[in-house]
Amino acid sequence: MASRALAHSVRSIARASARLNQGNVLTRSACAPRVSTQRPLSVISSNQRTRWTELVRITEPSFQLCRHYGDLPPLTIESIQDRVMYVLKLYDKINPEKLQTSSHFMKDLGLDSLDQVEIIMAMEDEFGFEIPDAEAEKLMTPAEIVQYLADKKDVYV
Amino acid sequence: MAASRLPPAALSLKQFLQRQKVLGVYRNLLRIIHKIPDESDRRYMRDWAREEFKRNKSETNQDVIRMMITQAQNHLEDLRKSLSLAGC
Repeated sequence: MASRALAHSVRSIARASARLNQGNVLTRSACAPRVSTQRPLSVISSNQRTRWTELVRITEPSFQLCRHYGDLPPLTIESIQDRVMYVLKLYDKINPEKLQTSSHFMKDLGLDSLDQVEIIMAMEDEFGFEIPDAEAEKLMTPAEIVQYLADKKDVYV
Repeated sequence: MAASRLPPAALSLKQFLQRQKVLGVYRNLLRIIHKIPDESDRRYMRDWAREEFKRNKSETNQDVIRMMITQAQNHLEDLRKSLSLAGC
């Protein structure tokens, strides 16, 4: 009676741990040659006096081995463009209605080179890395800024 | 052959280099000002720097510009030293 209850609890724990160990089991079985995609695998676990086997079916990998690292969310050209336009709209010398991705700072928006330096500095703050002077002075439209940032951050999407 | 096709408003080499220097000083100044811990001080200094540079924007005399660049660099060094003394 007690042994049956013990066996039942052990089985449920082993089932949970088998689910956790599926990763290791799968990698181990992946090294061995596979006959078919679905095959039963026996997991033998012994605990004290109880000995039993449980069939664990391996289906097509529906899970992913997942490692957790800390990093920023991946950048896309969309997100870069949104952030650039947002920063530009916050700048007090720019009229937000007239702003477009192709508007030239000096010709369309009437800014001068000092303002352009300020804008590039705001971009540096937003994206967290320095833009050298030589390249900064060439960026004259928001589209060019987005292009430059995408190049620097290796964003192709 | 290329010189004859340049527009009349193009800068000479010396003027171009000087313009680059001015923009470089402005950039360094803004970077240092960004490090100032107090928000209202930072805003005041930023407005001051903007004012100073904009006021003398239309200066064309090379020597005067050179003097102003030196002045700006002195200000920059002062700011840098005070910031390092203040510990940031």
